[in-house]
Amino acid sequence: MNILETKGLYHDFSKLQVLFDVNLQVKEGERHAVIGPNGAGKTTLFNVITGTYHPSRGQVFFKGKEVTGARPHEMTRLGMGRSFQITSTFGRLTAFQNIRLAILSKKGIRFQFFRKVDSMQAITEETDQVLKRINLDRERNIPASMLSYGKHRALEISLALATDPDLVMLDEPTAGMSKDETHYAVQLIRRLTEGKTLVIIEHDMDVVFSLADRITVLHYGQILATGSPFEIRENQAVKDAYLGALEV
Amino acid sequence: MTNKIMKWVSWSVFLAFLAVYPKLFGIYYTNVFVTFAIFALYAVTLNLLLGYTGLLSFGHAMFFGAGGYGTALVLTHMKGVSLSMALMTGFLSAVGLALILCPIMVRVSGTAFAMLHLAFGQLMYVLSLKLRSITGGEDGIGGFPIPSFTIPGIVFVNMKAPENFYYFAIAVLGASIWMLWFFTKTPFGSIQVGVRDNAMRIDYLGFKVPQTKAVVYIVAGGFAGVAGSISAMFHNLVSADGALHILNSFVPVMMTMIGGIGSFFGPIWGAAIFQVIEELTSRYTQRVELVVGLILILVIMFTPMGFVGILRSIKQKWTTYKIRRKS
Repeated sequence: MNILETKGLYHDFSKLQVLFDVNLQVKEGERHAVIGPNGAGKTTLFNVITGTYHPSRGQVFFKGKEVTGARPHEMTRLGMGRSFQITSTFGRLTAFQNIRLAILSKKGIRFQFFRKVDSMQAITEETDQVLKRINLDRERNIPASMLSYGKHRALEISLALATDPDLVMLDEPTAGMSKDETHYAVQLIRRLTEGKTLVIIEHDMDVVFSLADRITVLHYGQILATGSPFEIRENQAVKDAYLGALEV
Repeated sequence: MTNKIMKWVSWSVFLAFLAVYPKLFGIYYTNVFVTFAIFALYAVTLNLLLGYTGLLSFGHAMFFGAGGYGTALVLTHMKGVSLSMALMTGFLSAVGLALILCPIMVRVSGTAFAMLHLAFGQLMYVLSLKLRSITGGEDGIGGFPIPSFTIPGIVFVNMKAPENFYYFAIAVLGASIWMLWFFTKTPFGSIQVGVRDNAMRIDYLGFKVPQTKAVVYIVAGGFAGVAGSISAMFHNLVSADGALHILNSFVPVMMTMIGGIGSFFGPIWGAAIFQVIEELTSRYTQRVELVVGLILILVIMFTPMGFVGILRSIKQKWTTYKIRRKS
């Protein structure tokens, strides 16, 4: 069953066409990578799916329901989590407070005015567990903006995962990371997304081929090919447009 | 354990001090303290928008004024209104105003938010001058009866005595400040701070940003109305220049900046500093704003986190000094 599907998706920014007739299908449980050169429309595709933009044309289906143009908080409540290419955390809040917001959301605690958040033991414990799992327990009380780059990226990714979504959409999770950091991040993603569906935008082909079991190649806003890593590697059109250039 | 005892002891000392304050300092300084407490609450409500949600308002006086006019009007025109009803009317008037404005205000931020408030604040000011039959124009509304505090058969306290009013005002203002402090500590309070830091991510975490801002806006407006209501009863007067003038919108902004924008208690410190400066300078000159303005410039240049920032850095230096001496 397709957990995520787009049908004939178009998007333009005042006459600049960014997406043309994108038909993306993501099956439940698969690890789907979206690759393509800079400016191919990968992040725009994410933005249209997750609700930052309303598509100009076409439809988005999530878990079999039409969600075209739904707002980000609606998508999150339906079970989608999303991380950003440019780190987007709560800079002045500590790592703990950052993750706690996601845990509060997961528990549906929103308009609660009659208890102190610090006295909610279950929330605190769960937040600390998440911090431990992502190796940030020692940085628990450090403001997010003061974290090292690698740790900050880890926090960014875990914010998307801590609401316990069924579908995780990661936008270049390893952007700007060193080789070691990338290696660590890939392990982290693999561990944290166990049993979930993953859609990931990635430039690093090592990461793509080690994480993904299905790949979609986006080129000038259109889907060039979709298939297994092997099929993509052997696809002549993809080689011509994208991969060939990388291997030189 | 000792920490808890210390907390109880310091709170009891503080409350005992408040209780004997009128006896110790006399009527004049009792009234000065009430003025301070009114502005402390008023500045705290502004900081709820500015410091906690990242929204700078140049028209906060309209909520202060709504509270004042609401209370004054109900006391002037209705017979047998109790003290709590008068206070409630002030609170609800400000809440009503916030409810009317919030559909627009929660969808803007930054300069637009500040300027829209400037505009609506000035609109309220002009309305209060022009609608003479309701608001009394420049003279405002004064001389309305101040109801006594009564619990039938048990308590009867005449509020015309300044000392009695002091206890009433301090109780209401103190309780309001405590409620707002608690508000910032709730799960909702932490979401509110998240909106300040990164509204887009709050949306992506599954929270509704406009609704969150609306609640904060209504709470901040309503409690500014409480401050205005107490002020109206305290002076037995509410007027366009006293409550709705643009200076009255800037005062809490300046108090918050001077006291410390990054902390809950900063604005309270700011209100205290303001009151002290006013007391000292008004003996020598009419130009109190000049002195305050100068201090504001110095604060922004040298200690952007305000008075609380100074306190924090002293505390930090003290702890590093102690650690160094130990090693």
